[in-house]
Amino acid sequence: MYPIPWYVAGPLMGLVVLATYAVMNRPLGALGSYAQIVDFLRRKPVKESWRIWYLVGVMLGGAGAKWLFGVPAEVASYGKLGELIGNPALLALLLLGGGCIGYGARWMGGCTYGHGMCGVSVRSPGSLLATATFMMTAIAVTLLVHWITGGLL
Amino acid sequence: MKTLGLGFGMAFGFLLAGAGLMNYNVIHEGLLLRNATMFLIMGSAVAVIAVGIWLLERFRWVTPLQGLLKVKRIPIDKKHINGAVIFGIGWAITGSCPATSAAMLGSGIGYGAVVMAGILLGVLIFDKSKHSHT
Repeated sequence: MYPIPWYVAGPLMGLVVLATYAVMNRPLGALGSYAQIVDFLRRKPVKESWRIWYLVGVMLGGAGAKWLFGVPAEVASYGKLGELIGNPALLALLLLGGGCIGYGARWMGGCTYGHGMCGVSVRSPGSLLATATFMMTAIAVTLLVHWITGGLL
Repeated sequence: MKTLGLGFGMAFGFLLAGAGLMNYNVIHEGLLLRNATMFLIMGSAVAVIAVGIWLLERFRWVTPLQGLLKVKRIPIDKKHINGAVIFGIGWAITGSCPATSAAMLGSGIGYGAVVMAGILLGVLIFDKSKHSHT
């Protein structure tokens, strides 16, 4: 269904994380990039500026994928959520949801890949708990919304 | 470090986008436990990293740029529950996260920028709140 099957993408993403550890002795996780940007905006010292370059890289990677594979229409229109909720309500919801992501990730000290990929792989107790918690929460919320909307979402 | 950061980011972003993780429906269906794609991706990545790190630590790998490899393992803290719950809510609402929203923006999807702006605001608000130590 997607140009890069999971059994290629997953292991390769794992290799990128491994490379980051092996070369730079650092975990990979986009939250750090946002934290550095916020530090910059608050005129605090930016201690890991490479993470901002990492985020720029992720954007370029997305551009590369678009160039090679194109972007499916449903991705551009935000899938089922976009079908059900048009702008501007969708924009407000994404902003609010993004706020939860940023606030929660900063609080738990990582994000989906920082905790879920790096932390879990090295068996970091905090990451294991965080990952299990955000997974269960996201699943519960999704199932609840699914039930409340009668299966629409 | 900066060039490497850029390079690793490009690889990661390309893979995220090409594997379908930018697609709200893929994440949503995954969270509805109807589509295994994102779990398979994360699981296979974890397997590769786990084996690799085990090997690197066993051979006391010295990183070219930052000395002896020292993987940080963090002890359990309340924040791992509290923060994770809020993050999970945001992830369920948007079907996106810090990395995938950036890849989205790079792909020319404006919604990615909205999610990213929200994330920045969330981080800023947290950093200024009572829970923060910075």
